[in-house]
Amino acid sequence: MQEGLESALSELVRGPAVDAQGLGALLSRHALGAEERAAFEAQLERWLVYRTLVRNTLRNAVSLAIPRTLARLGPLFDEYFERFLAERGPRTHYLRDVTTELLDFVAPFWPSDARVPPWSHELARHEALEIVIASLGEPLVPHVLEELDAERGLVFIEAARVVRYDFAVHRLPASDADRSAPAREAVALFAYRDAEHDVRYLELSPLAAALVERLLAGESLKSALVLACAATRSDPGTALGGAAELLADLAARGALLGPAPREDLREPPETSDDGATLREKGPP
Amino acid sequence: MTTARRALPPGVGLGLRWEFLEEVLDGPALDVAFFEVSPENYMRRGGYYPAALERIRRRYPLVTHGITLSLGAHRAPDGDYLEQLRHEVERLDTPWHSDHLAFTSAGSSVFHELLPLPFTRDTARRVADRLEALADALGRPVAVENITYYALPGPRELSEGDFLHELFERTRAGLLFDVNNLYVNAENHGFDATRALDQFPLDRVVEVHVAGHTRSGSGLILDTHGAPVIEPVLALLARTLERTGPVPVLLERDNDVPPLDELLAELRAVRAVCERVWQTHGGSALPAERAEAHAGGA
Repeated sequence: MQEGLESALSELVRGPAVDAQGLGALLSRHALGAEERAAFEAQLERWLVYRTLVRNTLRNAVSLAIPRTLARLGPLFDEYFERFLAERGPRTHYLRDVTTELLDFVAPFWPSDARVPPWSHELARHEALEIVIASLGEPLVPHVLEELDAERGLVFIEAARVVRYDFAVHRLPASDADRSAPAREAVALFAYRDAEHDVRYLELSPLAAALVERLLAGESLKSALVLACAATRSDPGTALGGAAELLADLAARGALLGPAPREDLREPPETSDDGATLREKGPP
Repeated sequence: MTTARRALPPGVGLGLRWEFLEEVLDGPALDVAFFEVSPENYMRRGGYYPAALERIRRRYPLVTHGITLSLGAHRAPDGDYLEQLRHEVERLDTPWHSDHLAFTSAGSSVFHELLPLPFTRDTARRVADRLEALADALGRPVAVENITYYALPGPRELSEGDFLHELFERTRAGLLFDVNNLYVNAENHGFDATRALDQFPLDRVVEVHVAGHTRSGSGLILDTHGAPVIEPVLALLARTLERTGPVPVLLERDNDVPPLDELLAELRAVRAVCERVWQTHGGSALPAERAEAHAGGA
């Protein structure tokens, strides 16, 4: 019974609105006995309370995370919210993550919907980024006061990301009432959480963005700089000074913790009795 | 199953809400016996809130009360979520962890609301098994709360009281008894709350909740936790405590949260009810002893 009850209630709260006539068809799609269906039909108004409660809870969570996107899209947002509920629904145990799930769901649809302004998804992502960065984990390694080493990578705080937009959505006014459109301009931001737990954004040049992205991915400083210069057609000689300034700034902000541990100081791999690493001793 | 490591005092606590988090964090010591927290708001994350909770933990006793375990669902609770929950309850060293006698998910969908379970023996067995597994997974005692139900699924095999007896015969878990939920159900379904109370297994109560509610335009009472506790609920609380003896009592307020001073005044009113009963009727086992007894399978 429980499985049928869950699937029926799931459709009732997430699917299209139903009236007394529609309820019979809905219930027939689920594994419910005659008595169970009768109990449902006798209390339809009461069951619809749950539809309202579930929707209000989820929509409130989303509206707190991306208020400007909701205000700008209005009924169009609700149309997609309905689709999200009906076709996928939240899978997360964490209410704060529902918005991210919703934005992942609409990502393929919004670009091809002429009614949705082309910058909408980026604005929503940017708004949602605040909670994402605010909630990311603490540093895995302590701050190490060491000179940087070009052959080693760098360690950043966990709460640091580079995001790229095709529109300057981060420069839009903070007011929900604002309806101006962002400039079409490729931008990259370094988003991080400072020591006071506030989320900060730094606008990065193309070279800086390419460099920090590679460093965040774990590349060595030297490799990251060379590849970033190649990707942005920058002169490595000129770039070196700017990169040093950028990294010093990120360190001063507490976002860059220091050089990655040296390879020879890292935990040795697990070994077997004969000294071979377990990976080496894997199946042939 | 391990026993409770730390007792909650049999006084009146408050649900910790972000609206007054900073006052609790940095203000003068409050006359609050303990704070109850929703672990989902603090776990699997870094940043301000878990850091703040860590500081509050050093000032006040904490107990955790979750919402998304979906104890009654067809599908067992998600393993990753359980692992994250275990990590969090260990970090907070909660004397017990509680969730609701409900389902909050269907398959992979999570509703973030409490949906009612049928009062059947099958359901009681399933939830009891889940509670046992939960206590083992968390390594500490667990409790389950009676919920508000606006409708009940299926033909009713058992009364709520009989359902709870069926459940608690099969598990060592404690009962987190929500007085307001009983009152709201009685009003919405037209039965006598006091008589129903007498059918509840109150010997298993480890904690009591009280809250306010809102009457909708249709006359249905919604369990909003968005208004002060009303007098009939306080009277029901008194009757409950006459049976349970001194247990931790929690004042919940989740919506339209007033300034902390107002909440504390309400908390004092709740405490006055508790103390009046406890002075008159005395107490039996303290809640921690009770939780330990249940945890030990007594």
